[in-house]
Amino acid sequence: MAVKFFGQFLVGQGVVTSEALLHAIELQERTNLKVGEMALAMGYLTADDIERAHTAQQTKDLNFGDMLVELGILSTTQLQEVIARQKATHLYIGEALVKVGALTPAKLDACLADFKADQAPYVADRIELPAGLPNQALWETTVDMTYKMITRVLGIQFRPGKCQEVSQLGPHEMIAGMDFSGDANARYLLSVSGRLQRTIAKAVLKEDCVDHEPQEILEDAVMEFVNIVCGNVVAKASQSGTALEITPPMTIHPPENGLPVPDGYCALLFPIHVSEDDCMELGLFIKKP
Amino acid sequence: MKKVLVVDDSLSVARQLEKIINESGDLVCVGHAKNGAEAIKMNHSEDPDIICMDMNMPGMDGLTALRSLVVLDKTVKVVMVTSLGGVGDKFTEAIKLGARNVISKPFEADNVLNILRTL
Repeated sequence: MAVKFFGQFLVGQGVVTSEALLHAIELQERTNLKVGEMALAMGYLTADDIERAHTAQQTKDLNFGDMLVELGILSTTQLQEVIARQKATHLYIGEALVKVGALTPAKLDACLADFKADQAPYVADRIELPAGLPNQALWETTVDMTYKMITRVLGIQFRPGKCQEVSQLGPHEMIAGMDFSGDANARYLLSVSGRLQRTIAKAVLKEDCVDHEPQEILEDAVMEFVNIVCGNVVAKASQSGTALEITPPMTIHPPENGLPVPDGYCALLFPIHVSEDDCMELGLFIKKP
Repeated sequence: MKKVLVVDDSLSVARQLEKIINESGDLVCVGHAKNGAEAIKMNHSEDPDIICMDMNMPGMDGLTALRSLVVLDKTVKVVMVTSLGGVGDKFTEAIKLGARNVISKPFEADNVLNILRTL
């Protein structure tokens, strides 16, 4: 019940051993060249050019290929050729497992079908976000994953509210948060009432009653739920080439008038209506470009 | 009885794992460390057969601790428990460093026990 890497799925199902998977990963690493490596192999640039583009990336937020064009090292046409060659020669993990003899092509097809069925609950539906927001697909995935985990992990039925741009979040009993960094920078926040905090703790701890649990455990359970959601968002994002890091989760007790949005960030609020008189809020504080 | 050390900064996750392990009948939880540094100390004092360790922890994280543990103790078997298990790079890094398996969160008791019993 989580987003999985296909190799991890196969090891978990006992279809291949971790040793075979490691051989396949090593084959993939030898075969699949990065943009710079491929451009070097095609004679379009030098090792010094790669180093220069890496250094430039430290001060400007561009992906490596775009940086090569920005610096005048590659033309747009050359970059397209490099990317096309990358795609044409890319070895997927399943193909690599066949090449190392750990799977037959027929078994691979069957496992891919099983994997797709296992992962089907995590395929995102379209969620409307404000126009012009950077990394739209990532934030759609984040919201969608939150909804799916609320249903699957917490077992809560809810009605998602319309996305709003806000200047503050809350106030509620507590807010659990986690920071994303890497290809996108944002703070993920889940604001919950005391009643929902206990509901989440019951689900996370798999207990029928949490009335006697200390506040520390109740808050920890909400943080762990946020950790699960964000970890799965990072996994899903990595499958589409977006690299993110997350920090350990945190608890925030918002001031009485709500948690203000820091300067330089835009804030999206997604109300999650659990009942007529109870609601949690998903907040995304997204760093402006 | 195989001895298992749980390493997780989350009290709720540690409690779930301890419960699953102690109710298994053939595994016993010998302690709970809250970060990688504590895990290394408790591996020395408790001498577990298996360590179930979170990747993303404040202080010394799980992968850093794993690097040290595989050098300091050639016999202990480490399984990473993480919400990042589905990230190909993280999974690969853990396996390359010597982790025997990676359990993705949220997990089910049967899944955890199946993995621990095969070590």
